Amino acid sequence: MPTTTSPRARPRRRLGAIALALMVALQVAATAGCSEKSEAPSGPVTLTLWSWVPDLHEQVNMFQAAHPNIKVNLVNAGQGSAEYTKLRTALTAGSGAPDVAQVEFQLIPSFRVTGDLVDISKYGANNIKGDYVEWAWAQVSDGDAVYAVPWDSGPMGLLYREDILRKHNIAVPTTWDEFATAARKLHAADPKVYLTNFPPNEGGVLTGLAWQAGSRPFHLKDKTTITVGLNDPGALKMAQFWDGLLKEGVVSHEPDFTDAWYQGLNNGRYAAWVTAAWGPVFLSGSAKSTAGKWRATPLPQWSAGENVSANWGGSTLAVTKQTKHPAEAAELAMWLMHDPQTAKLYTTKQFLFPVLKNLLTNPEFVDQKFEFYGGQQVNQIFGAAASQVDVTFQWSPFQDFVYSTMNDEVGKAVSGQQSLAEALHAVQRKTTDYAQQQGFTITG
Amino acid sequence: MSMGQLVPTTSARAAAARPRPAPSRAARRRQLRGRTVAPYLFIAPFLLVFVAFLFVPLAYAFRLSLYADRLVGGEVFVGLDNFRRAASDPAFWSGVRRMALFGLFQIPIMLGLSLIFAILLDAGVVHLRRLFRLVVFLPYAVPAVVAALMWGFLYGGTFGPFAQLADKLHVTAPQFLSSNWMLASIANIVTWEYVGYNMIIMVAALQAVPRELHEAAAIDGASEWQIARRIKIPLIAPALVLTSVFSIIGTLQLFNEPQIMTAIAPEVVGSSYTPNLYAYSLAFPFRQINYSAAISFVLGAVVFAGSYLFIFLTRRRRR
Amino acid sequence: MTLLTTGMRSGRNARRGGARTAPTLVLLAFLAYPLLPLFWLLVAATKSNEDLLSTFGLWFAGDNHLLTNIRDVFTYGDGVYLRWLTNTAYYSITSAVGAALIATLGGYAFAKYRFRGREVLFGVILGSIMVPATALVIPTYLLLSKATLTDTPLAVILPSLLSPFGLYLMRVYAEQSVPDELIDAARVDGAGEFQIFRRVAFRILTPGFVTVLLFQFVATWNNYFLPLVVLSTPEHYPVTVGLASWNSQAAAGGGAHVLFSVVVTGALIAIAPIVVAFVLLQRYWQGGLTVGSFR
Repeated sequence: MPTTTSPRARPRRRLGAIALALMVALQVAATAGCSEKSEAPSGPVTLTLWSWVPDLHEQVNMFQAAHPNIKVNLVNAGQGSAEYTKLRTALTAGSGAPDVAQVEFQLIPSFRVTGDLVDISKYGANNIKGDYVEWAWAQVSDGDAVYAVPWDSGPMGLLYREDILRKHNIAVPTTWDEFATAARKLHAADPKVYLTNFPPNEGGVLTGLAWQAGSRPFHLKDKTTITVGLNDPGALKMAQFWDGLLKEGVVSHEPDFTDAWYQGLNNGRYAAWVTAAWGPVFLSGSAKSTAGKWRATPLPQWSAGENVSANWGGSTLAVTKQTKHPAEAAELAMWLMHDPQTAKLYTTKQFLFPVLKNLLTNPEFVDQKFEFYGGQQVNQIFGAAASQVDVTFQWSPFQDFVYSTMNDEVGKAVSGQQSLAEALHAVQRKTTDYAQQQGFTITG
Repeated sequence: MSMGQLVPTTSARAAAARPRPAPSRAARRRQLRGRTVAPYLFIAPFLLVFVAFLFVPLAYAFRLSLYADRLVGGEVFVGLDNFRRAASDPAFWSGVRRMALFGLFQIPIMLGLSLIFAILLDAGVVHLRRLFRLVVFLPYAVPAVVAALMWGFLYGGTFGPFAQLADKLHVTAPQFLSSNWMLASIANIVTWEYVGYNMIIMVAALQAVPRELHEAAAIDGASEWQIARRIKIPLIAPALVLTSVFSIIGTLQLFNEPQIMTAIAPEVVGSSYTPNLYAYSLAFPFRQINYSAAISFVLGAVVFAGSYLFIFLTRRRRR
Repeated sequence: MTLLTTGMRSGRNARRGGARTAPTLVLLAFLAYPLLPLFWLLVAATKSNEDLLSTFGLWFAGDNHLLTNIRDVFTYGDGVYLRWLTNTAYYSITSAVGAALIATLGGYAFAKYRFRGREVLFGVILGSIMVPATALVIPTYLLLSKATLTDTPLAVILPSLLSPFGLYLMRVYAEQSVPDELIDAARVDGAGEFQIFRRVAFRILTPGFVTVLLFQFVATWNNYFLPLVVLSTPEHYPVTVGLASWNSQAAAGGGAHVLFSVVVTGALIAIAPIVVAFVLLQRYWQGGLTVGSFR
């Protein structure tokens, strides 16, 4: 092998020059067109909005057209917990947080407890209160104080494969008892198919199902006192039900929103999906090969004739305390959520399920026929569910911890190490400990 | 050793032999001062970065670990409470035990494979050597995100290629993403990523073994296998210790691969699957930055202990 | 490796010609292991999103969607992927060059000079390899934000300048390959210390320098955790963080339209430059890694 003598040095020097030029070029490329976040506003106010809803540019431009003195810098800082991580570190560091951020319903108390959200009631938020479904407004407000504006929601229902149920002569279940019977019959007839999948990693579904069964796990008495009841009678009733099905092996238990799960939806492994109002459009995009075979129906009930649903998912826009222009930021949040044209656009462009009463009763929205569901007017089912969501449900101020612990414990349950009920007891114990560590007083 | 001499010594000797004028006293003093100051100046840039991005953050982390930032009550000084809590935290220690088990199997297998490859490369096949070295080393260049993505797809239970192949052959494939197999599945990914890297280190060490020793043994009638066992392996012992220590450190600090696995199999890889993952969960979803800092320190202590224990044990045996 | 060694090796092999086939076959079989997932990636990148979810993973589907997928990768999200690639290249090259330079400077100093506290300092620096990254990331973030450097390229580049292992490598390399006589001769000639380093030592140290450069390049290119925390605007992401964000969008759906096929093809394109760099710079890392393996 040649040694490092001087003939090699010459090409190296040339290489050095090329490398330098390349670096400069790359730096220019990397910083070209960088957002004008660092520019100081001179005259018009510039606001930063963090949201992961796709194609939001159109609605943001509509806002800017109506407010010539406000410029909006739209940033997608990640989806869900990815954004919350950045948001929290920025809020802790004292700089870097946006003026307005998309925050899901279940995370509002955890941002409130650290004082990170601005009370926008002083900017007229209560004027639009009556236009929203009650349970959604209840989750963003505390008495007269308003901490966020509701955006979209996810009242729960059931989507099922009409062809699979028909093939095996199974009636569409309307109660959970009927659901259990159907699950057993289907799996016995075809061991490769399950009536549905019970996801072990979906705290939102677990909570929603408990919610429907009457569970009210959290109640914030005041800023420092809280009740924790993750294993209350409603939750346990729900847990024991699914425990039975899991033990019998008539429902599968794969994590949802994974590659394998999509394949399951596409290939007829799951005959039904316990989902929320954003589910129909989502499914039509992810399981194209099954078009025309699905239908929607209300969530099975615990007693025949009841009409109880719950909510899974949905976001709001909140103003963070780091904003230097709270009035404009509040205006941005409220306008984007409430302006009639803009709000309507969310249902047709991004297919978000509305929380505004006028949209929920709008015939154009309600009577829309969905090809993917054989022409069914799916929004009627979920629209009805929207009014069947209990108003008194509250989230904890540390919901990430709760969901993460649920994931750990329910994971152990589906792999046979404990029952689902025991998992709930474990989550209860760990959450109570955590709440106490965080300085809360636990009451009964 | 022949390895280090990359400069033809002739020019050095020639340079030394050339007659030159004697430098003045002032010049010599300047030179001497330059010589004493030089090392500090040369190290300064490194030290600057070291202090700024290791020492200061570490000190800050230590300060954090002495406090608790509560949702109710704000920041409070708690002294060594966090460390006391860490010492008896089942979530932390179960993660440490899990990593010890992981390392006990994965490290010998990976280093064993690397060693076999290295010896095979060193012993024989001239044509494919370059290609083999490159191909086996390639996985090191792949980001952990992409590696976990690829293996995640391959491991898929119903629709992954392995499962489908097994189906065609009428055997049952193991459920790679189940809780029984997850540790082994992650071990496979880590092995895949690093076997080439460790192999290269060993190949380099093998190349430094003087050829005369092989020749002598070969002439004496020793087989390749015997040469490998009696001569090569003992002589590259330092390289083996080095790769082992790095592997131990890496295992105890395992984070990237399990973290990606939480997206694919969240119900198996929970929030405290590895100690580092636990520290991350504490800092981010659990919002207990202070306790997370304490856990990181305790983990660091475990890593120190594990590494030095290993070095100590192997040093005694080598002597 | 000197000519002497190569000559002796081929001589020995000529004697043992027949014994080569068995090891060759073994090695060939082992080639499948590193290549398998990469092969899967290549095959997957040629499939459409529907085919990805429904056809056998390790062989091609009916039609070839590779070009469509590549086009999707570069057009999705207003072409942010190209920005990610240039970001990654910029972060990696800058920090690699910087890290290799300061490691070479430092390693040379540790190797060729005696000064007070040398071994203690070296031990401390080496010991820092054992510090878990998670301990450092949040404090680093908080410190960077005090300097208002978060969400800028420097937030990724500056911490990536630190390579204790690079320092160790360069020290060992310098100890073994830079002869003291050469330095002394240059001193006698009247050269200053830095001149000696620049003109004499650095040339000899180049293979080690390139090795450290390459490894730090790879380390920064593949770094995920640090940029994830210190960057918040997608335009600043390196390709690892970008791909992961697309992957979680593809998985979570709910209004987002990233397809798995885009993620898979994006991953393939992301690793191509490093593979090329490795092939081109083979001579360096295969030769340069020789040091550090023995003391």
